[in-house]
Amino acid sequence: MAESIGTVEILDVIPEVDISDSVKEFAGTNGNYYTREFKKVQSSKSGYCWTFNIGSAVFGPLWATARGLWGLFWVFSLLEMVFLVMLGLGVWGELGADKFARAERMQTNYEKMMTRAETAREQGDEEGAASFEKRAENLAKARDKATAEGEIAAAGGTRLLVIAIIGLVLIKIFEGWIANIAYERQYSRWRGDRTVRSGLSWPIGLLGFVIIAFVYVVTLLRFTTANPPDVITEFPIGNTYYLAIASWIDYWFDLASQNFAFLFQGVSRGIRLILDGVETLLVGTPWPVVMAVIIIFAYRSAGPRVAVFTAAALIYIAVLGYWQKSMATVALLGTASFLCVAIGIPLGVWFARSQRAFNMGRPVLDLMQTLPSFVYLIPIIAFFGTGKPPGILASMVFGLPPIIRLTTLGLRQVPKDVVEAARAFGATNAQILRNVEIPLATPSIMAGVNQTILMCLSMVVIAALIDAKGLGYDVLVALQYAAKGQGILAGVAILFCAIVIDRVIQGKFKDTEKGG
Amino acid sequence: MAENSQPDVTKDIPKIDLSDSIREFSGQNSDYYVDTLSQIQATGENLNLWNKAALLCGPAWCAARGLWNLFWLFTIAELVALVQLGKGIWGDLGASKMAEAEQLTKRAHDLRLEAGVAGVTGDESAESSAEIAMNLEKAAELAIQQAQAAASTWWLYLIAGIVLYVVLRYVLGKFANRLYELQYSAWRLNKKIASGFSMQRLTIALVILVILVPLTLYRFTVSSPVEWLVDVPVDNAYYTNSANALEGWFDRTAEAGKGVFDGITAGAQSVLDAMELLLVDAPWPVVAVFLVVIAWRVASIRVAIFTAASLCYIGFLGLWEASMVSIVLVGAAAFFCILIGIPLGIWFSRSEKAYAVARPVLDLMQTIPPFVYLIPIIAFFGTGRVPGILATIIFAMPPVIRLTALGLRQVPSTVVEAAVAFGATKWRILVGVELPLATPAIMTGVNQTILMSLSMVVIASLIGAKGLGQEVLTALQYVAKGQGILAGLAILFCAMMLDRIVQGRFQRQEDQ
Amino acid sequence: MNDNEKDIVIELKNAWKIFGERASEAMAAVESEGIGKAEVLEQYGAVVGIADCSFSVRRGEIFCIMGLSGSGKSTLVRHVNRLIEPTSGEIYLLGEDVMKLSPTALREMRAKRIGMVFQHMALLPHRSVRDNVAYPLEIRGESKSRRWDVSQHSLSLVGLDGFEDRFPRELSGGMQQRVGLARALASDPDVLLMDEPFSALDPLIRRQLQDQFMALSDQLHKTTLFITHDLDEAIRLGTRIAIMKDGRIVQIGTPEEIVTNPADDYVRDFVQNISKLKLVFAHTIQTPISEYKPVDGEDLSQSPRVSQDVDLDYLIDVATNTTQPTVTTDESGNDVGVVSKDRLLQGIRDGK
Repeated sequence: MAESIGTVEILDVIPEVDISDSVKEFAGTNGNYYTREFKKVQSSKSGYCWTFNIGSAVFGPLWATARGLWGLFWVFSLLEMVFLVMLGLGVWGELGADKFARAERMQTNYEKMMTRAETAREQGDEEGAASFEKRAENLAKARDKATAEGEIAAAGGTRLLVIAIIGLVLIKIFEGWIANIAYERQYSRWRGDRTVRSGLSWPIGLLGFVIIAFVYVVTLLRFTTANPPDVITEFPIGNTYYLAIASWIDYWFDLASQNFAFLFQGVSRGIRLILDGVETLLVGTPWPVVMAVIIIFAYRSAGPRVAVFTAAALIYIAVLGYWQKSMATVALLGTASFLCVAIGIPLGVWFARSQRAFNMGRPVLDLMQTLPSFVYLIPIIAFFGTGKPPGILASMVFGLPPIIRLTTLGLRQVPKDVVEAARAFGATNAQILRNVEIPLATPSIMAGVNQTILMCLSMVVIAALIDAKGLGYDVLVALQYAAKGQGILAGVAILFCAIVIDRVIQGKFKDTEKGG
Repeated sequence: MAENSQPDVTKDIPKIDLSDSIREFSGQNSDYYVDTLSQIQATGENLNLWNKAALLCGPAWCAARGLWNLFWLFTIAELVALVQLGKGIWGDLGASKMAEAEQLTKRAHDLRLEAGVAGVTGDESAESSAEIAMNLEKAAELAIQQAQAAASTWWLYLIAGIVLYVVLRYVLGKFANRLYELQYSAWRLNKKIASGFSMQRLTIALVILVILVPLTLYRFTVSSPVEWLVDVPVDNAYYTNSANALEGWFDRTAEAGKGVFDGITAGAQSVLDAMELLLVDAPWPVVAVFLVVIAWRVASIRVAIFTAASLCYIGFLGLWEASMVSIVLVGAAAFFCILIGIPLGIWFSRSEKAYAVARPVLDLMQTIPPFVYLIPIIAFFGTGRVPGILATIIFAMPPVIRLTALGLRQVPSTVVEAAVAFGATKWRILVGVELPLATPAIMTGVNQTILMSLSMVVIASLIGAKGLGQEVLTALQYVAKGQGILAGLAILFCAMMLDRIVQGRFQRQEDQ
Repeated sequence: MNDNEKDIVIELKNAWKIFGERASEAMAAVESEGIGKAEVLEQYGAVVGIADCSFSVRRGEIFCIMGLSGSGKSTLVRHVNRLIEPTSGEIYLLGEDVMKLSPTALREMRAKRIGMVFQHMALLPHRSVRDNVAYPLEIRGESKSRRWDVSQHSLSLVGLDGFEDRFPRELSGGMQQRVGLARALASDPDVLLMDEPFSALDPLIRRQLQDQFMALSDQLHKTTLFITHDLDEAIRLGTRIAIMKDGRIVQIGTPEEIVTNPADDYVRDFVQNISKLKLVFAHTIQTPISEYKPVDGEDLSQSPRVSQDVDLDYLIDVATNTTQPTVTTDESGNDVGVVSKDRLLQGIRDGK
């Protein structure tokens, strides 16, 4: 019974796969050799076995490029270069040249000292002469030492030469060995993906040759000669263009800031107006009132734990005398985030509607976020001067992208069918936006608001650099004078501001999520 | 005909009786609210439904009825009105001008005395002093006049305050019921929303009002309020003492952990040196060729052209060395971020517990303004390139960790199960299945990390890292707009170059 | 009997799986107090995955486990290679106690003895078809050329010659599942575990794959544990079928037994709409020839003769061409029974 339905061993009857045709196609030239070698590599269980590719051993990086193994090319050329530099140093490098030069200098100084000593002795200044002689003696010692070191270094040349030659031989062996293994892997990849480079390509090989020749020559020149030509060590163009273009930009900036002064001042004034309002609320209002309101607000939106934390943070701030500075910072932050939200959400809505606007806006948004924040402080100073309004503007540049992006994202993620349904019932565009899209996009928009506020906070601190004051200023001063204690205290105050704001908003955000 | 064939479904609809639920919602005075809320719902119009309680009690009514947002809104608005009122009634309106006038007169008086003395000694300055004194006196007179004018405008403030106050109450009385209806509708869906009339809420509101109103009124209407109200009355000693204590602690820790800190510095330094040898010390033509060929091979010919153009920009502006130093900085930081971040990400994807602990830390690393952690870094590691890299790592590591963890969590469990079913070891599953499938997410993380590192280049120069960041910083200090912008663009180009090369590599893998 | 015991490849004895943090407490309660599924959920917040399951699969058999979604069949099959650990019970594979294996030995067993096919294919998207099929061999540390040979052969068994250098995403669902099957066969396992392999496919493709699988099974005689939610499929493929409900095995039997003798109403509901024509055989419905009383005009000597092992489908064909009742014969050609047309109609309706 058991025999009749016994398992057939499928592995007993396996035909061998013939790879020779495809290897020949892959390798182009030398197909038979590679078929043989690949079989050998494939038959080894670990994937590594002894094989030797003479072409690769002799030509190294050139073989690698011609065969399209660029990774191997870099490894080979880097390794070879290290030892070639050694070889170069050993053969024609002036090893110990700097030491000999030093010894020579010492010698001159020694002679000078001796002359002085003699002069002193002639003048009968025995004491002075002795001290000069002593110095001369020291110099002589140093000279001998430098000479000895120079000689050792020069003698090291031979040793370098030997090491370099042994190293090169080892590298060649390595190159010969690894070649077929790496090439077999390339072949396996090529089987699944025909865009992988195959065959032997002379033009690419030639390119590799040019690169190699160029790189080797220049590198050898740079590292083995005592005084390499300047063209190699430094880009041969100084800062003439830099200064010329810079002053040209300066000129246009000045022109613009003069001609549009009314515009910039208008913007400044507008921001100042809002800021003053917020500052009156936060800084002007008696601190017990502000503190109480903040804690109650934290409690109402995020629960008792956050409220306790908020209270502790506020007490920390108050006790260390940071109250007014913190409130000024928060006022700055509040104004910046308010403006970001006020500008960002409509822009986000627009971008969600118009693909063209979005296509044009996206690179700008990317730029705003990628450019280091300090860079756009510069034009802002040029146009708006220093102080708080420019600080707010800089924060806005940094804080706007998230809110715009996430508003757009949120609106785009609103299910099409829901919008369609609303439209089918005859809702106007405005109604659809208000009743359907915005509510559904709220989680995303709130996430954007949160990110914007935190971005603004980190920027408000940086804005201290352009005289926007606040807590950031304290950290900056501490940085300049390495006053760790003060810096940390101010830093922690900033940290507390950030955490409190974050927690409160997230608490609020969770509320809306639950409600929705 | 048509009417017959299509009976109107909206005819003959039975009316919903909401009175019970409104009664439950409103608690006290329910008859009134049943009446008004039903009416609002029926007509949808803003009828002339005055809420007398709201009109009379204002914010207190809002609080008692659980409309907290409204409470705050009207409390603040009414405070503004009351402050105007207070200024009108007892505020010393011309006080600041008066004080100014007084000062001016005093200075004028002093100058006159000086002039007198000078006149006696026959000094020439006597005349000019006298002239200045005269001008000052004139200014003082003007200030006094202004002060009187300001003081006489008290009735303006009074009227503005009263009008504002009345308008506010009018608005509240008029709209209270409509807002309360909205609250009712929300309450129907979510019974946790405050309902009814609560004595407790009313008490809280009253306490808040009692504290808030007098204090604020006092602060804004009195010309020189007591000091402790304006700023927190604390001894400066707390600040100095804690600053000193911290400083001491830092010094001691830095001393005690010298070995560790030096070790970290040495480790980072060796990586930096190796990269510097490759990019900065190597001849620039070699580096340029290297970068362009890498871009071509790894990404595409377009990226190679972009790289070449960027390098030309950098070279011709003479920013070559600074750029390479910056790239080394970013490269080293990104290297460490990946080296540390990916294993951490793997760990966090495995252990829910570890991730729960680490998530707030990651949040914090991204939320804290970099300025804050520059200080401890300086304290422990001094200034220079290594601390710059450390600051960059703190800022730029979270995305790699997060996205590695995310990517690994998103690997379909079925595929992993299949690997287990074929007897694969954990290590093999990680390397052969999970990591390759998570590569897109991980590469996104790497990408973000590189970009974030570059945006830290300038901040790192604040603590002594050289390179393009320093150029920007110097430009900022001397408001050298052109230089700053050119250097800034160079940073941008470096960032895009690295980004495109890494992305190109990844996109190729995707295409396969 | 002794012979039979040797032939048992997979055996589960009283396997329980309870999911939840307090699974072991719940298990203890189940053992001591015999509480039911609802009580376990209520008292311990734990979910019973499978309850007291026992079965054994003989060599070369295709053993189908059939049940609706949530009945615990996928959980059950994962006990065999311990992808899921049972809360209690014993599991034997090829006479070895699976529960006593060390992690290394367990991996060894998974790699060498068991091939598994999954409902959602679970192929590695970043590897070529060849490398997917060769994956079990790679885990076992075979050389590349061996891997290539075996995967090529395994792919040709499932009819996918020439697809080895493609990537899974380039293949259709049916082809992907054939790759999955090739992968399971590549390690030449003693046991195939197939977890709803054809459920995610279109009906037409499903049918094709079933045919192909049957052909392959005839050729290879692999012991197979086949999970499905489709009774038709189970009947088509299974040597024996186990029907599961709420984590318990309700009935085990050959397709014919299941259809003709449903153990309870649950199974009866299932088999009601199954066509019995190919499942019920003449010997089930025949009247022994000694008891048969010919009616007027019937002459059994005129009757067509068929083997008593033919199915109803065949009987209908025969009966339509004659006015006489059909006579059935045994292996040696002796008349053993009679199937009248009335009896045939009744058999078509009731299956007995």
